[in-house]
This record gives sequence, structure tokens and C-alpha cells, in this order.
Amino acid sequence: MGVMKRFTTVLAAVSLVFAGAACGGDDEAESGPVTLRYSWWGNADRAALVQKAIDLFQTKNPNIKVTPSFQEFEAYWQKMATDTAGGNAPDVLQMDFAYLREYAERGVLYDLKKQEGENLNTGDLLEGLKGAGEVDGGLYAVPVAGNTWGYVYSPAAYSKAGVPEPKLGWTWNDYRAAMEKITKSTGGKMYGGGNYIGTYYNLEVQLRQEGKLLYTEDGKLGFDKPRLAKFFNEGKQLADAKIVLPVEKGVQIKPKFALEMDLIAGDLGWDNFMTRYAAATKTELKLGPVPSDNPAQLGQYLKPSMLMSVSAKSKHPEESAKLIDFFINDPGAGEILGANRGIPATNGQRAAVKLEGPFAAVAAYEESIKTQLEKAPPAPPKGAGTIEQAFIRISEELQYGRISVDQAVDQFFTEANETLES
Amino acid sequence: MATVAPTRRAEAPGQPAGPRTRVRRSGDGVAGYLFLSPWILGILLLTIGPMLTSLYLSFTDYSLFTAPEWVGLDNYKRMFEDARWLKSVQVTTIYVAVAVPVKLAAALAVALLLNNKRKGQGFYRAAFYGPSLIGASVSLAIVWKALFTDDAVVDRALRVVGIHTGGWAGNPDFSLLMLVLLGAWQLGAPMVIFLAGLKQVPVELHEAAHVDGAGRWRRFRSITLPMISPVVFFNLLLETINSFQVFTSAYIVGGPNGSPAGTTLFYTIYLYDRGFSDFRMGYASAMAWMLLLGVGLITLFLFRTARGWVYYSGDKR
Repeated sequence: MGVMKRFTTVLAAVSLVFAGAACGGDDEAESGPVTLRYSWWGNADRAALVQKAIDLFQTKNPNIKVTPSFQEFEAYWQKMATDTAGGNAPDVLQMDFAYLREYAERGVLYDLKKQEGENLNTGDLLEGLKGAGEVDGGLYAVPVAGNTWGYVYSPAAYSKAGVPEPKLGWTWNDYRAAMEKITKSTGGKMYGGGNYIGTYYNLEVQLRQEGKLLYTEDGKLGFDKPRLAKFFNEGKQLADAKIVLPVEKGVQIKPKFALEMDLIAGDLGWDNFMTRYAAATKTELKLGPVPSDNPAQLGQYLKPSMLMSVSAKSKHPEESAKLIDFFINDPGAGEILGANRGIPATNGQRAAVKLEGPFAAVAAYEESIKTQLEKAPPAPPKGAGTIEQAFIRISEELQYGRISVDQAVDQFFTEANETLES
Repeated sequence: MATVAPTRRAEAPGQPAGPRTRVRRSGDGVAGYLFLSPWILGILLLTIGPMLTSLYLSFTDYSLFTAPEWVGLDNYKRMFEDARWLKSVQVTTIYVAVAVPVKLAAALAVALLLNNKRKGQGFYRAAFYGPSLIGASVSLAIVWKALFTDDAVVDRALRVVGIHTGGWAGNPDFSLLMLVLLGAWQLGAPMVIFLAGLKQVPVELHEAAHVDGAGRWRRFRSITLPMISPVVFFNLLLETINSFQVFTSAYIVGGPNGSPAGTTLFYTIYLYDRGFSDFRMGYASAMAWMLLLGVGLITLFLFRTARGWVYYSGDKR
């Protein structure tokens, strides 16, 4: 008896505590407007723009309220993983191409095909981006912006070194020679290029120029050990000769970019980063073409730089689809966001956006190579994010001379294969 | 015991015996548990529950999104073939082996200095304790990294005396040392404990030794150190366990890859990376249990050695 009584008392106390704790949120269920939680990655600059766009959406849809939240890219995915596992995923979430398959195949995303033509219209998407959010026949994400590989450089640095500015048709040898000349002419005060060897997409663009892929259709590595060794060797030579920014400098300036600090004359990267660099430095920057040994093949494609998905657990898929539709099709939203997230993904928004300065440069660049852009590859396999990190880490150790090229190649293949198999 | 207790109570003068007392006592018990309930709930739901869950998960393949799948000891076996795991064990062990003695020596030295009565003593104590108040803060780690980059304060100062290392944040040979120094700078907690220990050392012993002609160093070796050895042991234990769990500062300085060149890949950072970047929660859980096991063994080892060098006054030795 006594034990029983004691037990019930404690139980009562416990339930009291729980009741208290539960009194927090969750009172939205019956009230009028629907509340959508929307998560995305970015910085404070972008947050101001996104909030403006959301305000516009709410005026147009008075019965929907959107509560946004954002983190930096890395933290965003860590939080998203825990939230999703805990069944607490937001209704609408920003998606990255590298994570799309990971999330879609695990069944945590809503198939937007069900909303298509009703609350969501994807017909106006740019040709290269159509189908980019599909995984195994389902539409799990919609691209909201696209970007492509490009070469951002300072024309002043080029002319000072007496090197002609890059133009369509320049080769990888031309690129390496230009970097060397610039570094030598400044006596090492400014470097010709950045972290060439640690940039996974430099390898991808070279592979595509050779008619290969980074990942095959069935999700395996699309290159062999000798090919990676070739890439590592070329990069290692640049690093050893101190033609590119030394790795110890690159490590120290993180998370900033060398171009933002006028440490290098130019670098290969996603073209929309041009706007970020331009905001940070006073140096005039230009966007030029990617080098290629095969003039007919730039190896480039329009990559969805950002996509939007709806959580499979969302109670409001219709309203969520409406929000995505607004972000890709509404001219007002396009005007507000400009090219902050990459150039808009639909023809309508591209026409609506009045681009200036670096944004205009990005748009003009994409226009100039429009006919050369190929269809985006299928969404990368599960674990692509992990593999890219391994590539960055291993190439860093290689540049520090802690491991040889052969060791680096072996290590990368071991880790990549282990990741792809698990 | 149980049979003895009631008899004793019955014999106690002025205490009414029988069931009434019993009821009251059990009522007190409930009230006690009630007051304890926030703590009990906390430890059950927030500590023991997750720990048991993680023990279970350590035997599974768990990716956060799908249900965990039982794989037996696979995760544990895999660790010993995992080059990065071995690397992280190496980095962490070196760090603990260097950082703990450095920090304790610095804390003891400062405590000895502050033990003497002088003007502004309170100020100095606060000044030395200050850094540990901002303990594991992110901003501090950022500032620390900035101090140790190319052309920053430390680099310039070293160049004056002819040492050219460049920024330590980018130099694999010095990156770990930089974190050791950050740890040592935050010596407040062990220092305060040392100070308390020093106050307990009987002045008579020092005076007697002084009369006998013992110098400062001799008195420190033969009186102070043995008298505060329990405090040294306590600090050693605490700092060792803490140092195995360094995370924030290392994550800010080296990121998830342990830059530069993997020299700051601490065990906890690799664990975090596996769990939250690679979604391998099973493996990460197994790593956490290995850490617990390792720290447990080292603690046990320290207790064993303590018998040889820790002196408790009143001991017959």
C-alpha cells in the first residue's frame, strides 16, 4: 500500500512537471491562419532580403504566416539532420543539390508532383534546370536559382603583369602560365590563383571536358586513380612552386575568401560568388570563361545552386507549395532577391530582375555561354557531401606535404568508396 | 541493519513508537522525492536515458533518418582500422599529455605568487581568474586564432627575438601548441583550488624548517608539495578528464577537418563530424563509449599511482 501510494504521488508530480513543460507552443492548430516554418541557409544580408520577400508573400496570402529561420551552410545541415530525425523538420526547407538524394531516398521529403499544376507551377523553369529536383521519378525539390562554374579575376592584376585577359578558348596550360607570370611579376605579393587542388569542382569540370562525370549514373566515382593522381600532381606542382596561394595562408583566412582580401589575382569558382567578392573588395573584378583543352566542350552545366523542398511530415503541403511557387515565379520576389542566391531559376523572374554591377556581370556571363551549357547531371549519390569534405581535407594534407600524391589518391578512394557503399 | 533500526528507534527516549511515526516518515520521504524530482527527472531523461540509448545505438548502423539496424560490434572493430580515428586518438593524447602538466604548473605558480599578502591581491586574483570565466567561449577562440595568424601579435613578437614560424594557426607544427597555451591561459579554476590548498599548509612547519636553515625551494619540495598533494591530485584528475573533452576552441581554430593538415583533429571533433556531418550516429555513439572507457581507465590508473605520491595528513607514513 505505502509503496503504491508513494508511487502515485511521484507519478502525479511527474505529470505535473510535464504538463507545465507542454504548455509552451502548439496552440496554432485551430486558429485561422496557417503557420509555415521555413528554414534556409545564408547570412544576415540575405536574411533581410528573404524577410522582405516573405512580407510580400504574406500580403498576397493573408491566411498564411511564415516563420523563417536561418544558419550558415554547415550548421544548417547539422541542425536539419537532427530536426528531421526528431520529427521536427520545418514545413519548407532549402535544399542543396549534394544532399537532395540523401534526403529524398530516405523518404523525408514530400513529392511535389502532387501539387504541380495546382499550387505549384514549374513550367517556366530554365531549360537546364528542368528536372533538376527529381529523384527516381518524384519531384522532391524545386530549383530557385542556378549557377555555373566561372573564373573571377582582377583585370588590373592581369594588365600589371602583362598577361592578356582570359577569353573563350584558353586552355589549362594557358591558365597555369598566367598564374605563374602574375605571381612572379609581383614577387609573391599577390598570387596568381587560389586553392586549385582543394577544389572538387575543378576536377569535375575537367572530367566533363573529357566526356566523363564526377559520379556515374549508378552513383559510383566517375574517374579512376591515375586520373586523380594527374589532377593532384598538377596542383601539387603549383603549390610547391608557390604559384598559388600557399595552403597555410588559405587555412588562416578561413572563413573568408582570398579574393575578398586581394590576396590573389583570380580564382575558379561558382559564378554567383562574384557578387560576394565584389561586396567585400574595392578591386574591380570580372567574370571570365573556364579554361578548356577542348574548345568545343566547356564541361559546364547550370547547377541548381539552391532548391526548395517540403517536409514529408508537413501538415500544410498546399500552402508550402504555394510558398515555393511564389519564390520561383513571382516577379516581385525575383526583384527583391535579385541574384543574391544565384541568378533566378525561371524565365519570368530573370526578365523581372533589374540587375546591376556584379549581378549584371553574372547574368551576362551565363548568357555568353548559354549555348554551351549542358543538362545538369543526376543528383549526386548519398554521401556526396562527405566525399567533398574528404577531398578538401586530403588535398590540404597533400599541400602541407604530410602525404604523397599516391597516398592522397589511395586515401581518397578508400574513403569515397566506403562512403558510397554504406 | 534493517532489523536493528526499528528496535533502536523504539528505544529512543521521547519518541512515540509504532505505526504513526512510520506514516510520518514515509510522508517525509515523498516530500523529499518531490523536491528532488526536477533533479531526478533531469538525470533520468537528460543523462541516463540518452546514455543508455547511445549505448544501444553504438551497436547499430543508424543514419538519423532510418531506424537503427543491429550490427553487433562492427562499429567498435571498425575504429581500429579507421586512420582518422587513430589520428584523433593520437592528437588528443598528445594534447592531454602536454596541456595538463603545463596548465597545472602555471596554475600552481600563479597560486604561489598570489598566496603572499600584498597590495591589490584581490585585483590580481580576479585578473588571473577572469579568463576562465569566459571559458569555452566562441569569441575567445576567434580572438585567439587571430592573435596567432601571419603578421599578428605573436608572429611579430617572435620575429623580434629571431623566431620565424609564421602564423601558428596555419603551421601544423605549432597549431596544437597554440591550443595548449589557450588552455593554460584559462588556469583560474585549478588556481583557486591550489590557493585553498596552500592556505591549509601549517605555517609552523614552514617556520620550523626556516629555523633549521631550509631554503625556499627546499621548503616548497618537502613541505608545500606533500601537504597540497591531495589538491594536486584532484586538479590533475579534473583537468585530465576535461582535456579529453576539448571541443569549442579546437572546432573554431581547426574546423571539422582539424586544420592545418589534421593536426587539431581532436577526438570530440571527429566524433561530432561523424555523427552530425556524415550522419553516422551509430559509429559516433560507439566512439563516445570508447572515450568514456579510455578516460575511465586513465582515471583508474591515476588513482593507482596516487597511492604512491598523495599524502593525506593523518596518514601513518
